Amino acid sequence: MGPIEVWHLIIGTPVLNVLIALSQLLSGSFGGAIIVLTIIVRLISWPLTKRQLKSSKAMQDMQPKIQELQKKYGKNQQKLQQEMMKLYKEAGINPLGCLWPMLVQIPIWIALYQAIMRALATTPENLLDLARRLYSWDIVNQAIPLSSRFLWLDLSQPDPYWVLAIIVGGTMWVQQKMTQAPAVDPAQQSQSRMMLLMMPLLFGFLTLMFPSGLALYWAVSNIIGIITQYFFTGGWGYLKFRSPFKSTQ
Amino acid sequence: MKQPKILLFIVIALLPLTLVSCIPGSAQLAKGWSGTAVHDGIIYVGSVDGRVVAINSSTRNLEWAYSIAPVTAPSSGLSCGQTSVTTAIYGTPLIDRDLVYIGTYSGQVYALTIARGADRWVYPRTGSIGAIVGSPIIANETIYISSSDSMVYALDTIHGDLNWKSEILDEEGKRHEKLWTSPVVHDGAVYVSTLDGHIYALSVETGELLDWSFESEAGFASSPVIYEDTIFLGSFDRYLYALKIGSDVPMWKFPEENPAGNWFWAPPIVDEGIVYAGCLDGRVYALDAETGKELWQFESQDARGKPAAIVSPPVLAGDLLIVANEAGNVYVINPETGEGERIRNPESGDKPTIDAQIRAPFCADEGLTYIRDEDNTLHVVDIENGEVSWNFDLTKKEE
Repeated sequence: MGPIEVWHLIIGTPVLNVLIALSQLLSGSFGGAIIVLTIIVRLISWPLTKRQLKSSKAMQDMQPKIQELQKKYGKNQQKLQQEMMKLYKEAGINPLGCLWPMLVQIPIWIALYQAIMRALATTPENLLDLARRLYSWDIVNQAIPLSSRFLWLDLSQPDPYWVLAIIVGGTMWVQQKMTQAPAVDPAQQSQSRMMLLMMPLLFGFLTLMFPSGLALYWAVSNIIGIITQYFFTGGWGYLKFRSPFKSTQ
Repeated sequence: MKQPKILLFIVIALLPLTLVSCIPGSAQLAKGWSGTAVHDGIIYVGSVDGRVVAINSSTRNLEWAYSIAPVTAPSSGLSCGQTSVTTAIYGTPLIDRDLVYIGTYSGQVYALTIARGADRWVYPRTGSIGAIVGSPIIANETIYISSSDSMVYALDTIHGDLNWKSEILDEEGKRHEKLWTSPVVHDGAVYVSTLDGHIYALSVETGELLDWSFESEAGFASSPVIYEDTIFLGSFDRYLYALKIGSDVPMWKFPEENPAGNWFWAPPIVDEGIVYAGCLDGRVYALDAETGKELWQFESQDARGKPAAIVSPPVLAGDLLIVANEAGNVYVINPETGEGERIRNPESGDKPTIDAQIRAPFCADEGLTYIRDEDNTLHVVDIENGEVSWNFDLTKKEE
C-alpha cells in the first residue's frame, strides 16, 4: 500500500464520508456540514489549543518583564534573544507552541479540500470516483448528489463577491491581534505590524483562489478561535478598541 | 528573529495549500467518455481531444474529424486566470439518415454530415446551454437531449430549431444542476431520471410534465431503460429498480436484501425478459425482468484478479453478451448460463485485454465490438475469434 492509499484510508476517506453523512443529517446542507465538521475538528484539537491559549496568557502576563528586557538589551539583539529565551524557559513556555494547532490542521485542510471537490463531484469523472470512496452506509449513499449551494456561495468555487475573503482575513487579523504583544522597539513594531497583516492578507488572497467550502472552514475556525480565546484569556487581549475622538480631545 | 518567523509562517501556510493543489484526484478534469456508434461500415466516436471522428472500418482509415471549439475555464487552486480546455464529449453519437448528432460538455448540440463531417447546424446557434453528459435520442423527427441546466430539449432534426424545452427538472431550492442522464422516448412520452432521485414523464409534443412522476429516497445513478412498460435503472443506494410506468411503488429492487457492492452506474440492457446489469462492484447480473430474481452473476476482474468496476453498459451481440470493465478486460459471456471468457491481450496474457481504462459505452456490429479507451484509442475486438483485431489512434489527424 503506497503513501497515497494510506492517506486516503486513514484521513481522506473518513473525512469525506463524515462530511457527506453530516450533510445528510443537516437536510442536505453541505455548508452546514462543513461548519459542524469545523466544530468537531476544533473540539478534537482542544487539548492543543488549550496549551496554546495557556502559553499566550502566560506571554501576556510576562509582558512587563519582556518590555523591561527590551529596554535593557534593545541595542544587543543577540543578548535580548538569549534573555528572552531564558525567561520563556523559566516560565515553561515554548514560543513556537502556538504553531501546533495550526500544524495539526494542515492534514485536515488537505483532506477537506479533497473531500469538498470529491463530494460535490463537479464532473462525471468526480462522481464516478466518489463511488469508490463511499462507505456502504445508507446515510452516505442517500445523500448523493450533494448541492454545492450554501447561502450566496457555490462551495466548489471561490466566492465571487469577496465577502468570504474579507471575513477570513478580518477574523484572522482579530485573532492574531488578540495575542500579539505590542513591541517597544520601533524596528520591531514595524515588523510585527507587517506580520500582523501578512497572514490575514495571504489567507484572504487564498480564499479568492480556493473553493469557498475550504474558506468557510477557515472563517468558522477563526471565529471559534476568537470566541475561545476571549473566554479563556478573559477578554480581548491586545486588541484594544481606541476611540477615534480620544486624540482630538 | 522576526523575519525568519514570518517566513516560517508563510511556508507553513503555503506548503499545505500547494500540496492540496498538486495532489492527484482532488478534482478531475472533464475528459469525457464518448461511446462508439457504427453505421454503414463507418465508426463514429468522440475523442478525448474534443473531436468527433469517423473511421472507415474496412480501410481502417480516418474519414474525417470535426473539432469542437475549446472552452475557457477558470484555473483552480493557486494558479490564477483562465485556461483553454478541450471540450469533453460524454454522449454517444447518434446517426440518422445523413447526419450524426452529438452533445458536448460545452453545452452545444451538433449535427454533422456523415459524408464529410461538416456542421449542418449547431444548437444553440450562439452561446450554449448547460453541459451535456447524456446521449441524444431521436423520435418523430425530433432530437431529445438533457442538459446540466436541468432541462430536456427537443430539437428539430433538419434545422436544429428548438421545438420545446422542459421546465427545470430539479427539486425546488436544491439546484443540483446535474441532469447527466439520457432521456428515453416511450409511448408518447419522454422519460428522464435525475440524480436527485426523480423520474419525470414529459409530453413528446410540448415538453409539459405529465401527471405521473416517481420520487425515490436516493438519487438515480443511471439513465432509464424501458422494456414492456417497465423502467429499469440503477440508484445511488446500490440497488437496481424495476418500476411499472404509472405506479408509485417499485415492482422490485435488486438485490432483495442487502445492497450490491456499489452503484449500478451503467444503464442495464433488457432482452427477452432478462435484465443484464453491470455494477461498479465488478459484477454483471442477469435478472428475471418480471420478478427481479437473480439468474446468474459474473465477476469481472483486473490484472491482479481483483473485481474491477463495470462502467460501460454491457452489449448483446447476437447470442453473446459482451462486458468490458474499467480495468480494460473484455469478456464474452453466454447470456443463458453466465459462463464467460476473457479476451486475451494480443501482446501478453498477463495484461488486460485493452491496456487502458474503459468507461465509454461501446457497440457491436457484425461480429466486431468497437471500444474506445480513456487513452484515446479505438479498439476493434473480434468476438468470434476472441481477439483484439486492430486499433486506431484517435489523436491521428487527417492526411
